[in-house]
Amino acid sequence: MRAITKIFGNVIALDNVDLTVQTGHIHAIVGENGAGKTTLMKVLYGAHSATTGEYKLGENSQRFKNPEAAIAAGVGMVSQHYAIIPELTCLQNLLLGAEPGLVINQAQAIERAEQLATQMGFKFNWNQNAEELSPGQAQKLEILKLLWRNAKILILDEPTAMLAPEDADLLYAKLHELTQTGATVLVVTHRLPDVMEHCDEVTVLRGGKLIYTGPVSQTNPTELAEKMIGISMTEHSPTQSSPGDTILTVKNATVKGEKGEDAVKNISFELKSGELVGIAGVDGNGQRELFHALMGLKPSAGEFLLSDQNLSSLSTQQRIQVGIRLVAEDRHDEAVIERWTIAENAILGLQRTPGILKGKSIDRAQQTNLANTVTQLFPTRFDHINQPFRDLSGGNQQKVVVARALQQDPKVILAFQPTRGIDLYVADLVYQGLIKATREGATVLVVSFDLDELMTYCDRILVMNHGVLKEVPNSLRSDRQAIGRMMVGADE
Amino acid sequence: MKFLGWKQIVLAIAGFTLIILALIVAKAIPAEALRQVIEKALTKPSGWRNILQESTPLILLGCSVFLALKVGLFNIGADGQFVIGACAAVVVALNVPGPIAIPLSILAGILGGALWAYPVGLIKAYRGGHEVITTIMLNNIAAFFTFYLVSGPIKDPTSQQPSTASISTAAELPNLYEKLPFKLNSSILFAIVCVIGLWWYLKKTVGGYEISATGENTNVARFAGINVNRIIVRTMSASGAIAGLAGALQVLAFEHRFYGNFSPGYGFDALGVALLASSNPLGILASGLLFGTISESTSVLSRTGVPKGLSYILLGVLVIVFAAYRYRKEAQSGTDS
Repeated sequence: MRAITKIFGNVIALDNVDLTVQTGHIHAIVGENGAGKTTLMKVLYGAHSATTGEYKLGENSQRFKNPEAAIAAGVGMVSQHYAIIPELTCLQNLLLGAEPGLVINQAQAIERAEQLATQMGFKFNWNQNAEELSPGQAQKLEILKLLWRNAKILILDEPTAMLAPEDADLLYAKLHELTQTGATVLVVTHRLPDVMEHCDEVTVLRGGKLIYTGPVSQTNPTELAEKMIGISMTEHSPTQSSPGDTILTVKNATVKGEKGEDAVKNISFELKSGELVGIAGVDGNGQRELFHALMGLKPSAGEFLLSDQNLSSLSTQQRIQVGIRLVAEDRHDEAVIERWTIAENAILGLQRTPGILKGKSIDRAQQTNLANTVTQLFPTRFDHINQPFRDLSGGNQQKVVVARALQQDPKVILAFQPTRGIDLYVADLVYQGLIKATREGATVLVVSFDLDELMTYCDRILVMNHGVLKEVPNSLRSDRQAIGRMMVGADE
Repeated sequence: MKFLGWKQIVLAIAGFTLIILALIVAKAIPAEALRQVIEKALTKPSGWRNILQESTPLILLGCSVFLALKVGLFNIGADGQFVIGACAAVVVALNVPGPIAIPLSILAGILGGALWAYPVGLIKAYRGGHEVITTIMLNNIAAFFTFYLVSGPIKDPTSQQPSTASISTAAELPNLYEKLPFKLNSSILFAIVCVIGLWWYLKKTVGGYEISATGENTNVARFAGINVNRIIVRTMSASGAIAGLAGALQVLAFEHRFYGNFSPGYGFDALGVALLASSNPLGILASGLLFGTISESTSVLSRTGVPKGLSYILLGVLVIVFAAYRYRKEAQSGTDS
């Protein structure tokens, strides 16, 4: 790609970016949110057209008008938001848009699908409805969709954001195998360990400009991080926590999953004021069900106490009012209404908390105050609190969602993957915000599939595997391998 | 609203051409038709009387459909709720003496409409049954059931038609202003208060906020601690209540009796009224008046031989042009990542 410029309105998203990718390589594109990584990939993939510039595929100059043309030429992309239709089966999703003919031979299709899956080391029940897929599985299905379409150049946007370390390693191993067969992989990521370990070349973008491009072997993480952010970042050093009174007590909790199985099995734990506790584990081991039960979104057995108050009979709204907050996993479908303004979203969930609710109406002045606080807690880039929420970039959206959970006197903050899809710098801000809340007397429980993140920031780490919760003993607190073994139940 | 863009202008011109063509097919001269409409409908007191009379139920039913749309439900059943409300009101008005008949009949209409919509909300919230299906069915049940009532149990024995007796003058809603042929009935006040009340409730109260959140995304609403099922049942019932109110007022203010095939399809026109109002409830006043004007204009034209069906062509074109503009905006802004 040469001299690609893309202008959105009066924003220059890409400024004269050159990019050369060699066949058979895994090439990482790194950069902050809004650096233009995704835009550059979308230009390549035909989803956006470049304002100026050209690109070549092999010897031929190309300019894909739309993603269909790109796919026909063997360029495919898995974006951050999966294009899986939940009502269809896995197989139907795989075929969608690339059906082998007017009449679909089910047996043949399954055979080829199975073959592709085996090649990648994935396992699918093809007739299962896609809505039952975990985000990690959905991503695997997305990758298979590209292979089904015979893509030779695969673009993956944040592929490991939802995966456990083992799965991430496995994914990269399989991508390596693919490159052996002549495929080329472009990975958009902000996870530098992935880049260092698995990629051949790396390109750094910042503010729409090309900062660096070259082989991974000739650089190091610190250098890359500096290039990404533009300033050098200091390593986070955990401060000593001073746990106070027990705030949340969970005794013998059991929660049923989607299919009626026990997703959470008889677990007990306590959270104390002033501490940040992390739950490590592979996606789909009961973390989601536990959080939903704590929020009152799902029926559960067992005892849930907030200080001395029994939570069991409280509705979700009442739980919010007594100080439980959830940073939901899926921003688009659980946390915000993107068509609404920032101000309208700022009180979503808090609409009946004191101060916001005055009589039966919403206090507009308080709402504006809250919206301002929420957008200023972490520096958020926006024009006006009355602009539609969807105008914010993903990272900025997440900042608002986390900041909102810290408002109106929270006591327990449940954060599910609070740093999903956001870059290192913002992730650090988010955790600093959560830690600050604990220092002010709250307690925070974080679920993350990124073990490094938990090891960096949490005071205590719990591990969840097949619905069973265990605490990581203090002696193993910084033993990555040992915790990893607990995550997959290989510690006994 | 900013500049519409060429495509919209072409669309608007195409719409006008279609209407003119329809007039020509109906053997009318467009310029002559326009002159007729202006002379006989828009500049005469009797014309205005009819316009305001037509607009009153349209505005109220527009509110009903608008409210349901806010919570994400397409209330095709406003027509049935309107008919049930009217029938309930007439029964009360015929059996209760004197001036208390008015508030009691109105109450009966509201209750009737709400009861007719309540099962729709229940089925939607707890069983997932689609409201379009259930409301269409309930429309038919309402039409046939009331037809049966006016053919037998509540029929006026002296009448040749399937109709009830007329309510007493004391039970009629008084006119606000009268200088014949112009009349303005007080029912228009209910319509205006209803629009303003709806606006206030949706924009200012926490209940309105929660209705909007549920309408935008039920899952997000659940996570925000909103009891989604309860909101759906209540909002649907309230929507029915407004439609029932419209029915009651239609009886008390204009018709003074109930008869078979009572609604000329107000409930369906109301879908257009609510859609044209876009996102602002206050727009219902304007779009209701517009629909009323079109209805009166075509009824004037029908006296000169142009079929009344022309109004459906006109309304259809209007709604399509508007929808094309509105959803184009959404499609555009929806593509950004």
